[in-house]
Amino acid sequence: MNTGFKIDCIGYGLFAAFVLLVMPWMVDFSGYELNSYARYLALGMVAAALALSWGTAGILNLGQALTFGVGAYIMAMHLKLRASESLPGGMPDFMGWTNVEALPWFWQPFHSLLFTLGAGVLIPVGIACLLGVFMFRGRITGVFVAIITLSLMLAVQLWIISEQRFTGGENGITGLAPLNLFGWSVDTYELSFYYLVAGCLLAGLAVGLGLVRSKAGLVLRAIKADPERVRFFGYDVARYETLAFATSAGIAGVAGMLYALVLEFASPTYMGLSISLAIVIWAAVGGRESMVAAALGGIGVNMAEGRLSDLFFDQWTLMLGVIFIAVVLFLPRGIYGLVATARDYLEARYTERVAMALNREQDDAARPVADRGEVK
Amino acid sequence: MAALTLDALTVKFGGLVAVDHLDLQVRDGELRCLLGPNGAGKSTTLDLICGKTQPTSGRILLGNQDITNLPEFKRARAGVGRKFQTPTVFKDLTVIENLEVGRSSEPGILTTLRVFRSPVRGRMKEVLGLVGLENEIRTRAENLSHGQMQWLEIAMLLMQDCRVILMDEPTAGMTVQETSQTASLLRELRGDHTMIVVEHDMTFVREIAETVTVMDQGALLSEGSIEAVEADPAVREAYLADTGDEAHA
Ligand SMILES: Nc1ncnc2c1ncn2[C@@H]1O[C@H](COP(=O)(O)OP(=O)(O)OP(=O)(O)O)[C@@H](O)[C@H]1O
Ligand SMILES: [Mg+2]
Repeated sequence: MNTGFKIDCIGYGLFAAFVLLVMPWMVDFSGYELNSYARYLALGMVAAALALSWGTAGILNLGQALTFGVGAYIMAMHLKLRASESLPGGMPDFMGWTNVEALPWFWQPFHSLLFTLGAGVLIPVGIACLLGVFMFRGRITGVFVAIITLSLMLAVQLWIISEQRFTGGENGITGLAPLNLFGWSVDTYELSFYYLVAGCLLAGLAVGLGLVRSKAGLVLRAIKADPERVRFFGYDVARYETLAFATSAGIAGVAGMLYALVLEFASPTYMGLSISLAIVIWAAVGGRESMVAAALGGIGVNMAEGRLSDLFFDQWTLMLGVIFIAVVLFLPRGIYGLVATARDYLEARYTERVAMALNREQDDAARPVADRGEVK
Repeated sequence: MAALTLDALTVKFGGLVAVDHLDLQVRDGELRCLLGPNGAGKSTTLDLICGKTQPTSGRILLGNQDITNLPEFKRARAGVGRKFQTPTVFKDLTVIENLEVGRSSEPGILTTLRVFRSPVRGRMKEVLGLVGLENEIRTRAENLSHGQMQWLEIAMLLMQDCRVILMDEPTAGMTVQETSQTASLLRELRGDHTMIVVEHDMTFVREIAETVTVMDQGALLSEGSIEAVEADPAVREAYLADTGDEAHA
C-alpha cells in the first residue's frame, strides 16, 4: 500500500502544478478562455468521480451524470431564487407562466446558500446510498449495475422534463443571478473563479486518494477482483461498495454545481445519455484505475474537443468514438496503464539489480573466488 | 466443548441430496479430516458451514451460537475461515496486500479508512515466515507458483486468525516437500485453531489426522481413528465402487 501511495502523491503534485500553474499560464492568467478551462476542470472532476467507483471498486455507473446533474440543478435553483427576488411571490419566471400559485416547498430551502452547498453534496450522496443499499445488498453486479444506474438517470431526466412547472422542463433553469459566496460576488470569467474550481477539483481528488489508498481502498480493490472471497474474510461488501459509490456521487455533485456556475444555467441534458457515455470515455482514455489520470482524461479530451471541433465541426463526435474504440482495443487501461507498465518495468529491473549486487557482495564475502555463475 | 456442531444438516440441489442429514461434532482445537470419494459432498459441507450455500434444513452451531442464518461476512466475524479448493487469492494484489485483506479482525469501514500501512512486523512477519513468502512481499499473487498461492491463501487465513478453519484440499498441486511442510504447519496450528481438512492424499492424512470422518453420497459413512476407518468394510466398499483403490494409496 505504501509505495503506491508515494507514487500517487507525486502524480497528484504534478497534476496540481499543471492545473494551478500551467493551465492558467497557457492563457496568460486572464481572459475569456479561463471560463472554458474552468469548465474542463469541472468535467475532469466528474470523470475522476467515475474512476473512483469504476476503477477502484469495479462498479460501472453509467448514470454518473445523474448526480452531476442533480448538483447542477441544486446550484441553479439557489441562483434562480436570487434572480427572482423582485418577481411576484419571489417565484422563478417559468412558474409564473405556468400559473403556479406559490413557491413549492421543495424550492423554499434553496434561499439559503449554506443549505444549497450542503445539499449539492449530500443529496447526491443520499441518492447513491439509497440506490447502493438496494443494488449491493441484492448483490447486483456488473452490467446490471450499469443498466440500473442508466435507467434511473433517464427516468429522473424524463421526470424533470415533464414537470415543467417546477423544474423549467426542457429549457432547464436559465437566467441565473451570479453566486454571492459570503460577500464575494463570483465572476465566472475571472482568475479567482478558475482557482475556486481548481481548488474544489484538487480537494475532491484528495478525498478520493485518501479513500483509495487506505485499507478501505484495498478492500475495494479486492472486491473488484472477487467480491465473494472478500465476504469470507468478514467484510461487509455491500457497505464498502456503497461507500465508493456514494463518495463518487458526492464528488460528482460538486462538479455539477461548478458546471452550472460556469455555464450559468442548468439543463436536463446534463443528466443525459450522451454526457454519461462521454464521462465513461474520458475516464477510460485517462485511465480508470487512477482518479488523477481520469481527471486528466476529462480535461484533455474536452480541451481537444474545444480546439478540434472548430476545425472538424460535425465529425468530432465520430472522432471521439474512434478514439474510444482505439483506447479499448490498444490501451485497455488507458494512458495511465501505459505509464504504470513502464513504472513496473523500471521498478522490477531496479530491484533485480539491487538483489544481484547484494548477492554478489555476500558471495564475495563468503568465498573470495566466487563462482559468478551461481548468482541467481 | 464442541467448537462446531452440525445438526441434521441437509441441502438439496433440485433432486440431488448433496448433503444428507449430516451430524458432526468437532472439539475445540481438534484437527478433523473429512474424506470421501469424488462428489461425496465434502466441499458442499464446507460451503454450508461458511455460508456460501444455504442449507435446506438442519442447524450449524459455532460454540453455542446458531449461525445457520447468518450471512457470510457475519459468520466470518463469528470465527469461521475458509480455504477454497482452488487457491482463491486476489491475483492483482501483492502478497502483502493479500495478507492485509486477510487481517480482518476489525473489518468495519470506520477502522479501515484510518489504516494506511501494513508494517511487516508482529503477526504479519511471523506468518510470512511460516509460509516462506518473506522475499515475495511485493510480488503480485498472479506471479506466484501454484504451491505458493496455496500457501498465500493459508497465510491469509492465519492473519484472519479465526477459531474454525475449513480447508478444502490444501495440498492440491503441491510438491511432496511442500506437502510435508503443510502437514507440519497444520500440526502446529492444532490446539489453537479448530480445523476441518478435506484431503484425498492419504499419506498426508496419516501425518496429520486424529479423527477422520468419511462421507459418501452426502451422508456420514464412518468416523473414528484412521486405522479403524480404513478397516471399516463400508468405507472400502464406497471407495471401490467409486474410484478404485484410492483408500489403499
Ligand atoms: N451449486 C450446486 N448446484 C448443483 N449441484 C451441486 C452444486 N454444488 C455441488 N453440487 C453437486 O453436489 C455433489 C457434491 O459435490 P461436492 O463438490 O461437495 O463434492 P466433493 O466431495 O467436494 O468432491 P471432490 O472430491 O470432487 O471435490 C456433486 O454431485 C456436485 O455435482
Ligand atoms: Mg470438493
